[in-house]
This record gives sequence, structure tokens and C-alpha cells, in this order.
Amino acid sequence: MAEPISAEPTSELCPVDAKKELLMECNNIWEELEECQSKLMLLGIETLLQSDTKLALLMLQWKALTVDYQECHERSPETISTNPDVLLELGKEELQKVKNDLEKVLSAVCSKNKQLEEDLEREQQWYEEQEQMLNTLNRIEEETKPQVEQLYKTRGLEELHNKLLQLKTYRKELLSALGEFLDEHFPLPQDSGSAIKRNFSSEPAVELLALQDILEILINKLMATPHEPYVTINESFWPPYIELLLRFGMALRHPEDPNRMRLEAFHK
Amino acid sequence: MAVLRPFDKLPGLNSAALLLVGSDEELQQKLAEAILQEKRDFKISIHIATSLPLPSERDHLRPRIDLIVFMIDIKSKCSLKNVEASLAHVDATFFLGKVCFLVTGVGRVNCCSIETNAVCKLGEAYCSPVLFCELELEGVRVATAQRLLRMLQICAGLVPGFSALSFSLLMRNSADD
Repeated sequence: MAEPISAEPTSELCPVDAKKELLMECNNIWEELEECQSKLMLLGIETLLQSDTKLALLMLQWKALTVDYQECHERSPETISTNPDVLLELGKEELQKVKNDLEKVLSAVCSKNKQLEEDLEREQQWYEEQEQMLNTLNRIEEETKPQVEQLYKTRGLEELHNKLLQLKTYRKELLSALGEFLDEHFPLPQDSGSAIKRNFSSEPAVELLALQDILEILINKLMATPHEPYVTINESFWPPYIELLLRFGMALRHPEDPNRMRLEAFHK
Repeated sequence: MAVLRPFDKLPGLNSAALLLVGSDEELQQKLAEAILQEKRDFKISIHIATSLPLPSERDHLRPRIDLIVFMIDIKSKCSLKNVEASLAHVDATFFLGKVCFLVTGVGRVNCCSIETNAVCKLGEAYCSPVLFCELELEGVRVATAQRLLRMLQICAGLVPGFSALSFSLLMRNSADD
């Protein structure tokens, strides 16, 4: 195969005979090249079929490599010229190339180092911040722990409990007092001894509610569903009691429906 | 039928010639420009073709081709067919390290119509390296140009002591790993 032609060192420091020597050598090599070229032209063209390209190529590679191998064994590498000036120039060039390459490697490694250092610093800073945050949070937790425990103590809760109990008992008292009062002064109408004529109220089968119960129904309805406080009047409500409540402003009729009534909202 | 032969002409002094074969001319232009912008210390000439065989009228003006790069667009099946058809017009000795397959357009994953398996098989059958790139991205384009330039330098014999054959073997062993 053709020999590579390396670039000639162009230097005016070389004496004239060194240059001539090199030129002669180059010419020789060029003539060899032309010989090889003409020999190659005589070889036939070989194109590859689609089917067994790999095998054919591998065979070709094998042949070429065996030839290369034999040549490596037989030939020993020779210097391009024995002229000391030429060699000096070549040596200088090679060393310069190596120096440049090493400088590139050095700068690459330095910049990588710097990057790593910066990364390390950043990570360390982040780590310290995280530790500080952790410490602060721990401290806050410790400080608020006794406060939370205090809150859990039922001092405030007990107070509220007591208040609630008081109110409940008061309510009971009020209700029982109200019930007694109502029973005494507004009893259930008895069938005998009543001023109502039998003709009008012919409903002995219906059980009449005491005023207490009527009031209870009205209160419950108002408290349970403040948006719908109206109670439908049914037959168990004794009409005079209804009139009583209405006349004294304790209860109101529904503005549109005379069969419904509600307790007056005294708490509003 | 003109078949490309690796050593049918004498080489130029300190120069190398690259041939790009592919169906997308715009992409080939972009790649050629990227290669020409790289720093180098030898002369370079880049030839662009859509398919082989090359027209024989200008045969005497063309230098010796040192490296053929077959460009396959992963988005079009016909570029693969085109390349497969052109491979028949290349002399067998070219495949001893002076041929390379370049697959472009791998950035768009959802537009692939050729399987990478098929391309890798092609590379294996022809004992040539397969490079994947996305030429629309500037960084990748520059990196691919640098790789191709280095390969070209080796294939033109401008790296002393290292032949195209040894380079292709090196590439293959590392790819198999």
C-alpha cells in the first residue's frame, strides 16, 4: 500500500544540502508510489454482491492484515533522514505538538477541578443551612412542648364544663317552674263543667294537649328549625288556648295560612 | 459503469478528498460547511453527490477520494434504498476502512421510519462504522464535522503509522463492546 508522505519542515536554518537531501528522498518515494499505483491499476475491479458482503469483506481484510503483518516483521522503521539539522527541527515540532496537547489537557482538568470545587462548596453550604434549619425546628418544638402540655390541662375546659352544668340545671328549673305554673293556671279543659256547648265542640275523641305541651311544640319547632318555625294547627290544640297565645303576643299566625302558627322569637 | 476505486489516481500533496453521498442536499451542504470551518493543516476538498455512480464526464477533474460518507436520513426509507443501490458501485477495497455510514435526523424520535437495527446490520455487513448524529443542532454538527475530519485525515494517510484499515478495526472493536 502507498506510504504516507509526511509534511516537510520548512525552515531556512537547514543548510542547502540538507534540503537537497530531503527533496531527493521525497522524489524517490514519489517514484515508488507511482510504481505501486500503476501496479494497482492493473488489478481488476471487484464489487460486492448483496448476499455475502460480510464474508467477502472479512476475507479481504484478513488478506490485507496478513500482508501488513508480514511487512511489519520484515521492515524496521527507518528515520526520514540522518541529517542532524532535520532531526532537530522534526524533534522540535513533535515536542511542540506534545506540549500543546498537554496544555489543553491541563486546562480541561483545571476547569473540571474548579467546577467540582464550586459544586462541593455549594453542597456544603446547603448542608449547613439544612442543619441550621433542623436545629431551629428542634428548638421550637422543645419550646412549644410545655405550652401545649399546659393547654391540655383541663383548667379552661373544667371552667367551661362547670358553666355548662350550671346552665343545664337552671334550664331544668325554669322549665319545671313554667310547667307547674301552666298546670295550675291553665289546666286541660274537662268535659264536664266546661262553658262550651256540646254542639260546637263535638270532638271528645281527640285528646287535647295541655298548654304546656303546645308551648313545648312551638318552642321546639322554633329552636330546631329557625328557618321554618311554623307549626300546623291540628285538632289537639284547644282553640281558646290558641286565641290566648295569639292575643298576648306569644304566638303569631302565618300571614297567608290561618292553619299555621309560630312562637314569637323573643330571643332575637 | 464507473466503479469508485480507492487507488486509481495519485494522491495530492498534503490534501484529502471527501465524498458525501446522500439524498438531502441541504443537509450535505451544512455538513460540508461545518467541516470546512474546522481548523486543519492539510488541504481538503469535499464532493457532494446524491447517488453513485458519479458522472464520468468530470472524472479526470476529480481527485482521489479518500473517504466516502453515505448519509442516511432516518426519516425517509428511500434514502436507505438509495444508499444500498449506490453501494454496488463501490470497489470492494474501499470498504477496508474508507467508508463510513452517517445516520442523520436522530434528534426527532417520533419521526423515525427506519429502524436503527437495520442500519447497524448494514454497517456490520460492510464492515464500516456507523455514526449517529442530528445535524440540525449546532453542537452536534460541529462534533460530527470534527470526527469526520479526523477520519478523513487517517484515511488519506496523513497520520503517520496509522492506516485506514487499522482505524476501522479499532472502531469496530470498540463498537462491539
